[in-house]
Amino acid sequence: MVGMMGIIPAFLQGQEKPVRGQVRDSESTPLEGVTVQVKGTRTATATNANGNFSINASNGDILVFSLIGYQPRELTLQNQMVVNIQLTAESRSMEEVVVTALGIKKESKKLGYSAETVKRQDLLQNRTVNVMESLEGKVAGLDISPPAAGAGSSTKIRLRGQSAFAGAANSPLIVINGLPMDQGARSSNGWQPAYDLGDNMQQINPDDIESMTVLKGATAAAIYGSRAANGAIIITTKNGQRDQGIGIEYTSNFTVNSVLDFTDFQQEFGQGQGGQRPTDVGSAISTGMLGWGSRMDGEPIVNFDGVMRPYAPNPNRIKEFYRDGTVFTNTVALSGGSDKGNFRASFSNSGAKGITPAPDNRYTKRIFNLGLNHDLTKKLHFSFNANYTKENNENPPQVGAQGPGAPNFLTRMSTSIPLAAFRESAVAENGTERQTSGFQGTLLNPYFAKGREFILNDRDRFLGTATLRYDVMDWLYVQGRYNYDYSVSKLEFNTPTGRGTSTPFNNNGQGPGFNGMYHIEQAKGTEINTDFLVGASKEFGDFSIDLSVGGNIFKRDVGTFIDEVEDFTVRDLYSIQNGINKTINNYTIFRDQTNSLYAFAEFGYKGMLYVNLTGRQDWFSVLNPEANSEFYPSVSGSFIFSELMKEQSWLSYGKLRGSWAQVGSANGIPPFSNHLFYDILPNQLHGRTLGTILGTRSPNALLRPFSVEERELGLELRFFDSRLSFDIAAYEKVTTDQILPVQISNASGYTDTQQNVGSLQNRGMEFMLEVIPMKRDNFRWTSSFNASLNTTKVLSIAPGTDRFVAQRFEGNEFIGALVYEVGLPLNQLSANTYLRNENGEILLNDNGRLLQGPVVNFGSALPKWVGGWTNTFTYKNLSLSMHFDFKAGGKVLSSSALNGLRQGHTKASLIGRREGENGVVFDGVYRNGEKNTIAVNPQDFYTDYRNLQIADPFIFKSDFIKFRNIALTYNLSDYVKNKFGFIKGLTLTASCRNVALLYKDLPDYDPEAFASSGDNRVGYEQATVPTTRNYAFNLNIIF
Amino acid sequence: MKKIKYLTLLGTICWALSGCDKNFETVNTNEYGVTNIDPALLFSNAERLTHVGAWEGEQTIVQQFVNAYNLGATAGFNFNEDNNNFNIPKWNSCYENAVKLLVEAIQIAQEMPARVNLMSMMRIWKAYVFMTLVDTYGDVPYSEAGKAYQQIIFYPIYDDDRAIYEDLYNELKSAIASMDPAADYVTEDFFYGATGSAAAQVAKWQRLGNSLLLRLGMRYTKVDPEKARSIVQEAVDGGVMQSNEDDAYMVFTNAYNSTLNDGPVVNAYYYYLAEPFVNQLKSTEDPRAKYIAGKYADPNAVLSSVPDVTLANQFGFPVGYDQNNVAQHPNFRGRAGTGFNYSQLNYAIIGNPFAPLFYITHSQTKLLMAEAAHRNWINGSAQAYYEEGIRASMDQWSLYPNTPDNAISEQEKESYINHPQVVFNTANALELINTQYWISNIGNGTESFANFRRSGFPALTPNRYNNNLNGGFVRRMAYPDDEMSENPTNYQAAVAAMGGDNLSVRVFWDIE
Repeated sequence: MVGMMGIIPAFLQGQEKPVRGQVRDSESTPLEGVTVQVKGTRTATATNANGNFSINASNGDILVFSLIGYQPRELTLQNQMVVNIQLTAESRSMEEVVVTALGIKKESKKLGYSAETVKRQDLLQNRTVNVMESLEGKVAGLDISPPAAGAGSSTKIRLRGQSAFAGAANSPLIVINGLPMDQGARSSNGWQPAYDLGDNMQQINPDDIESMTVLKGATAAAIYGSRAANGAIIITTKNGQRDQGIGIEYTSNFTVNSVLDFTDFQQEFGQGQGGQRPTDVGSAISTGMLGWGSRMDGEPIVNFDGVMRPYAPNPNRIKEFYRDGTVFTNTVALSGGSDKGNFRASFSNSGAKGITPAPDNRYTKRIFNLGLNHDLTKKLHFSFNANYTKENNENPPQVGAQGPGAPNFLTRMSTSIPLAAFRESAVAENGTERQTSGFQGTLLNPYFAKGREFILNDRDRFLGTATLRYDVMDWLYVQGRYNYDYSVSKLEFNTPTGRGTSTPFNNNGQGPGFNGMYHIEQAKGTEINTDFLVGASKEFGDFSIDLSVGGNIFKRDVGTFIDEVEDFTVRDLYSIQNGINKTINNYTIFRDQTNSLYAFAEFGYKGMLYVNLTGRQDWFSVLNPEANSEFYPSVSGSFIFSELMKEQSWLSYGKLRGSWAQVGSANGIPPFSNHLFYDILPNQLHGRTLGTILGTRSPNALLRPFSVEERELGLELRFFDSRLSFDIAAYEKVTTDQILPVQISNASGYTDTQQNVGSLQNRGMEFMLEVIPMKRDNFRWTSSFNASLNTTKVLSIAPGTDRFVAQRFEGNEFIGALVYEVGLPLNQLSANTYLRNENGEILLNDNGRLLQGPVVNFGSALPKWVGGWTNTFTYKNLSLSMHFDFKAGGKVLSSSALNGLRQGHTKASLIGRREGENGVVFDGVYRNGEKNTIAVNPQDFYTDYRNLQIADPFIFKSDFIKFRNIALTYNLSDYVKNKFGFIKGLTLTASCRNVALLYKDLPDYDPEAFASSGDNRVGYEQATVPTTRNYAFNLNIIF
Repeated sequence: MKKIKYLTLLGTICWALSGCDKNFETVNTNEYGVTNIDPALLFSNAERLTHVGAWEGEQTIVQQFVNAYNLGATAGFNFNEDNNNFNIPKWNSCYENAVKLLVEAIQIAQEMPARVNLMSMMRIWKAYVFMTLVDTYGDVPYSEAGKAYQQIIFYPIYDDDRAIYEDLYNELKSAIASMDPAADYVTEDFFYGATGSAAAQVAKWQRLGNSLLLRLGMRYTKVDPEKARSIVQEAVDGGVMQSNEDDAYMVFTNAYNSTLNDGPVVNAYYYYLAEPFVNQLKSTEDPRAKYIAGKYADPNAVLSSVPDVTLANQFGFPVGYDQNNVAQHPNFRGRAGTGFNYSQLNYAIIGNPFAPLFYITHSQTKLLMAEAAHRNWINGSAQAYYEEGIRASMDQWSLYPNTPDNAISEQEKESYINHPQVVFNTANALELINTQYWISNIGNGTESFANFRRSGFPALTPNRYNNNLNGGFVRRMAYPDDEMSENPTNYQAAVAAMGGDNLSVRVFWDIE
């Protein structure tokens, strides 16, 4: 391995002649560092950055081309002077060659920053509907959190922590075949919306992925400029292979999602209040959500619908309600190639039935992918990639809000009401929802919603990249590229007539129609990137230089039509024409442009010392024209010190790397935000037109991009023939001039304004260890562990403030706030605490009831530690992989725990009504210091937590350890190849995801069961669908 | 040398693209956005959005209404709790709507000298909105309010409540005087935009302005009676409202519902009329009662059933009780359906989402004049004004949905006015007049709350639940919690100036 990295002078031998040539990969990208050796001799050289080599050899000699990560090739010389050859990547490649920014492949040794390649099998053995979810706990520094929001939901992706305050796009840039795009999570955000419509990662079929590289630091991303302030994930899709016939690959995957119910509610006391069970229909309704009744004895009592049913617990209501979800995915791919080019076309169909039956949640997607490479001439290469996705999401479950959606309803209704009652009596005589509880507006029966309420989202997206590359000279090329991203989406949803209210008639029966709402919107967007790149590389003795200059124009244009009406002439007919009142009726646009110029240079010495410099200038259309551009520099270097220690056989590889970069981002500054707009309301009132000022944000024309400065040091070591590998990185990332929607006094007429304020610091370490403890002829055990430690600290907010409320969980969100406070870790969960005396004892009033103490911070919602441990055992063709992952060091505020306590459902609510108890005698003191002896009615006592907003009992650690995945793979390729010649490969995999939750602190829920993949609702638990255990079966056949 | 080449190349590209941001101004211009607007359209919307209080806010403080349930976050003025949820509606609604729109519209209209009448109407209406803010909170942002975009004032100072009143006086005087019958006619105006001519509209607005000035003057009754007298005289001399035709009110529709009535419909069984108010209606056989109070078989089925409006069957929920301890009340009336067997709003009429909101009325004006006459500040008969105020109040009910054109007959009015507990007598004049003011403003809690503090009437018994106010009444609403964190410096200064930020602090005109 070491030999190929240097340039070993060729020896002159008899009859030899100089042979020149170029080595490229299957996409015609020149490969650098390929060892070219005359077989059986010590004559060898390596290709330069343009893939070119020159070696002296004789006719009949065999040239051996080898590069780690690629299948070696041999070629017998027969009078040629020029040899052009292609190497094919090995499937377990990418350890050494990394696809970096702008799709340039580099040997990892040259990189002065962290770039980690995802193992493809991690994506395939551990399939999830959203490809990113399968990476949870796999890559150090990559924090993936999948919300519990149904099939087709987004994932939260954070690299090296949250780098900017909520409001900016904090997920890394996704680059597919050179096409950059935002992750674009359309996550639940409380009421607006209360469901998750997925993200752009959904539009990638894991079977199409050739490689995926995570560029963690700002240096890696510096060249992508502002959009990659949070790092980048570079995805290359598969291509066909040259010089091969047509091949067909078929993959089929079937997954069953089985609901995990972690609730462990009290099953002793039934519906009612004051220790009394309901005696009539009225009280059966008004106490439907209260578990403060008497001890359940199975005697019949009246339910909300007037039917008598046993007064008995229903502990399995959640499992009874949800169903097994399924996902069935089939992919067929056709590939082939000639000496001039190659192609691969694939089609994938994926259909998911979500676990939520009411309303019926289904998700389907179809993905068509095409990759083409062609040499137009010897010097002119053309490549084209296209990806077309059609997604259809029906009824994503409503989560994270108190309102429509089953999660909230199922966990907040008294256990003594059986699920069947809700199902059988969902509808009242007049066709409205039958009232089930005293929280009529917010606890909505999902069985009423079924068939009446809908959320439908269709999305079509086309991604296309065309690249033309001209090799001017063997050391110089020019490349032009055009990326086109076109998407159309349609969203419709309704509020059915009679939902939650007791009458289908609007306005007391006097109104002209039936109540309800219907909304439809259609958005059409394009993102176009046009770029050019001029690259040159040369070697001068021990020195090598690689220079590139490029430019990019990025344009984004989205137009959205929205129509929304309220109240209908014809009942239950949801259409715009049937609507009586217009509520929204508009067309809005989003348009911006970023122009960029960039250059980067790499200087190498003896293949062991590399220095990289980059610089990029961005011009932003959204900024004040007086100051609309920013310059982003970076410098990085690597030192492969093992080159100096070649005699030390125990050390296979040793590299020290370091980098510094400055990146900025205009993320979070919407276009036109410098101007105030007016609007005309959709309906007239008494024939008069109403005007208004659009929005509640005071425009700020003077915004600048925020900037991210990152430093990184890393050490990479491999010992004993790479049986033990070790990588450690330490970084510090400081984000300044953040764009924060600063809350301003409402008396100013507006609620907030965007300002360049505040700075954040992310500091952390990433750690990876891979050991091969056992390696026999037929058996191999690989164990890899990764962990990252990250703390995100708020360094400053606006001048004069040291505390900023990012999100108040108020009103229907019950309790607390998400707060940024200077000097503390980001995302503090904040709420009132108990009032205490100077001895720290909890003070109570003279009636033994709670008193409200000050607002305090209960800790950060962000985990400090994220990591995973994978063990893979391979025996012959059988491979068993087990993955564990964990997060630790964060806090969660459980509003479900608050509601469960005050409504008498959780086990905590038993305190005060157990045998011999007359009420809650809280462990506290009166103002005079005497210990409390008064017993308070438990319902009254626990309701005070809600009234007084005291959060102490509802704060938990969000830590968990999960046995995430187990996968058994049987590769039958050898067998089928021998048996049936036309089958080249066959692999079977069976796997289980979410095998076991080994540790958690949060009661009744999975600590990962949160609603949003955004940054506003971090650490806030409320009403999510249950998490699932997934059983998957996968078949892959290659013809 | 090669490097030089590249640098040259780079330089060339930069030069070629030095217009790197050339088209950016076009790119960043939203051609679908509205950037110019007729200020009159903002004004009409401001009229529509003017806030008159909330059932669970002001009407609860003055014991007309109560949310009987303590289920968490529902404890506010009903249980003597200082709950941000119930303090913020007025603040947010005023500043984010009427104040924001009027400040912007006034700025635009400043460039339009021909629209002097529009400008004056907006100034008068802005004075009205700020008067309600001062009455509710005391010191409030005034001179710097609503100017985040115009002047980049994100953290407005709080002006002294007394000083704001001084300025409101000047504004009203000046705006009334600037109106010109020969100038612009503002048809967008909801109140008088259909009068047919600028002259008629100006006359109406001048009467509105003077009626507001009368109200402003009356507020000084306790703190500076001499000033009160002088302003009241000035207002009456200027010409106040003469009939219900002059009332400033809004009627709502299916598309735009009353901003007052969106609350107590959901979980309606929480909400009842309060005992003192129902007792007042009952003891005087008030003909307005049938439009206000109703008993529903199921207090939650208020939209789908017809209430019993028989006066004798009406019972208000006792003040100072919640859903649990009301059973211990000596006259507990028991449960009904989902809730309790007490009177609720008549949801077909006063609780209707189409119900009109009355801002400044002939009834209010006449009742204030009755008190002024009783105090000998103005000429005329206190009794005549008193009776006219009552009749005017009764006539307002004709504008409610589901009431006949003559909602209350002359005969009903006559017999009510002569009811022993209603009939005017000088000895008891202040209580009689201001009790009528309380009833007249059942739909305008902001005004009845202010007048209750100013006059001390009706004679209500303090709510003793939790006794957080030590037997006192709510004297003002606390500032929104947001101000503490979002405008801390000015907030702290205001709290210092007010002498605290709780429900017992008094606004400047409300001295003990």
